[in-house]
Amino acid sequence: MTLGRSVALVGGTTIPWGVRAATWAELAQEVGAALFRRVPSLRAEEVDSFFLGAAEPERFAFQSHVAPFAAEQMGLAPRRIIQRTELACASGQSAIRSAYAAIASGLADVAVAAGVEKMNLPSMPEANTSMACVLDRAWDGAHGGTAPPFFAMVAQRYLAEHHAPPEALTAVAEKNHAFANTNPHAQFYAKKFDRAKLDRLPLVSPPLRLGDCSSMTDGAAAVLLVAGELAGRYTDTPAWIRGSGQYSDFHNLAHAGSLTDWTGLTRAARAAYDMAGVGPEGIDVAEVHDCFSISEIVEYEALGFCGRGEGARYVLDGRSGRGGDVLVNPRGGLLGCGHPLGATGIAQAVEVFDQLAGRVPPERRASDPRWALVHNLSGSANVHSVMIYEGGTAG
Amino acid sequence: MSDSGSAPAAERPKARAAPEGSTAPARPAPPPRPMVPLPYLLDFFPLQEADQTGIARFFARLREGRLSTTRCSRDDLLHWPPRVACPKCHGTELTWVDLPERGRIYASSAVLAGAPLGMEADVPFAVGLVDLDGVPLRLFGRIVGRRWEALAIGLPVRVEGFELADGRVFYRFRAEPEPGPPGG
Ligand SMILES: [Zn+2]
Repeated sequence: MTLGRSVALVGGTTIPWGVRAATWAELAQEVGAALFRRVPSLRAEEVDSFFLGAAEPERFAFQSHVAPFAAEQMGLAPRRIIQRTELACASGQSAIRSAYAAIASGLADVAVAAGVEKMNLPSMPEANTSMACVLDRAWDGAHGGTAPPFFAMVAQRYLAEHHAPPEALTAVAEKNHAFANTNPHAQFYAKKFDRAKLDRLPLVSPPLRLGDCSSMTDGAAAVLLVAGELAGRYTDTPAWIRGSGQYSDFHNLAHAGSLTDWTGLTRAARAAYDMAGVGPEGIDVAEVHDCFSISEIVEYEALGFCGRGEGARYVLDGRSGRGGDVLVNPRGGLLGCGHPLGATGIAQAVEVFDQLAGRVPPERRASDPRWALVHNLSGSANVHSVMIYEGGTAG
Repeated sequence: MSDSGSAPAAERPKARAAPEGSTAPARPAPPPRPMVPLPYLLDFFPLQEADQTGIARFFARLREGRLSTTRCSRDDLLHWPPRVACPKCHGTELTWVDLPERGRIYASSAVLAGAPLGMEADVPFAVGLVDLDGVPLRLFGRIVGRRWEALAIGLPVRVEGFELADGRVFYRFRAEPEPGPPGG
């Protein structure tokens, strides 16, 4: 199924992620500068629309009205559409989806979708409070509910229901950290984590240890999306957006239902697969939301890469690594790159763009990929967002 | 074992008086109400007074030791959390019903690091999802009474209300104490 005009992702960039000596505004300036370096043929006045993924700038940077704030930092003056997209951990992918819809409909021709998040504050308890209000603050957050204990309960139920080996959690973290060692912008680029080291890290929310949890990260990323007929102006190797699906299931934790069968993801993926005309068996490389090691395991299943209860075996057998069925999280995942909420989905799209063009280091390169999938969950896995890209040539 | 669930033990600040020389028109003084110990936008707990929320009755009942919620008789639907409009039929004539005080753990974990502001002193504390006996409701909350290591799927717990340091009320789950050492 085609929706309106075809839309191409024609360039993108990240900046160094981690605990950065930089303000929110400076992260935006850096990513603007990096985008124009990365796409030398782009002139600022060509950008008619701007979509900014930013999850919690009010809490982390005490700044509202952030779309024009970021546009000014990045040297953009959008004249057709300017907006912020907020969907917690999936805010970045939301920016891309909104840009896609705007271009496909003809309301925009040349759009920048960016993500900026500053998360490391002088007061970490205050930062943790901000993370807790992603959940139903008064009824779940007030008990001390945040993402780690929620996903720890997912892990507890998964291991119990499927009699799965806990080593599978460590295997996800080990794989993604090893990939992050090939990505100079990753928060943990310079840190080696083998299985033994990961198993010695402290428990955060049992059974999850520190290495099973993505970090608080300062970071930004940006991509350039254009109407298909303009793609050749900017690149010879566009990534074409072919499919998009979302599903929002619930919000209060009382309505989570099964913690291990993410039916919302199955539905979002089905919508995206159907729109793209490809199935899980056709996907060559996938950037999925490993906010916690257990998330990636449940996602293999809900995305259809393997059957229900087979996710632990899937990673232990190397089927999500190089030379496996689907190369999963070659950029290093959220575990290895860190998770600056609004920037994550944009950085995943940058990786897909570079993978489809064969422009990543050989240690993490998919072999001759055609189809790529990006998945983000948000909150307590209550919302799922999926996009499918196809490699190809311009024009 | 930490007695988790306790609220920050801050002093209750005095209600703020109108600034001197204020020219604002005289208005009736608002009823006295407990003040939150943290700045309002860093405080987790729900506001509970009748002039702040349409579900003040939930907190009044909780103060009497009763966990309750709203129910839509048209849909035979129990809500959580309590509501002012039914999400199914969108009707607003809801009734209040008491909930069972016993349930069993569906899933549990603990917070050993990374606690939000005001909860740092509670670490480590246990949390879980609890299936209430006999009703289709699974509630999230703190679990006290046992170390987190001694909690497990299926363990019975009961719900209890407790008072926060600033006078508001909230609820949590309590597990039976761990059995003592054999022969001890
Ligand atoms: Zn109803």
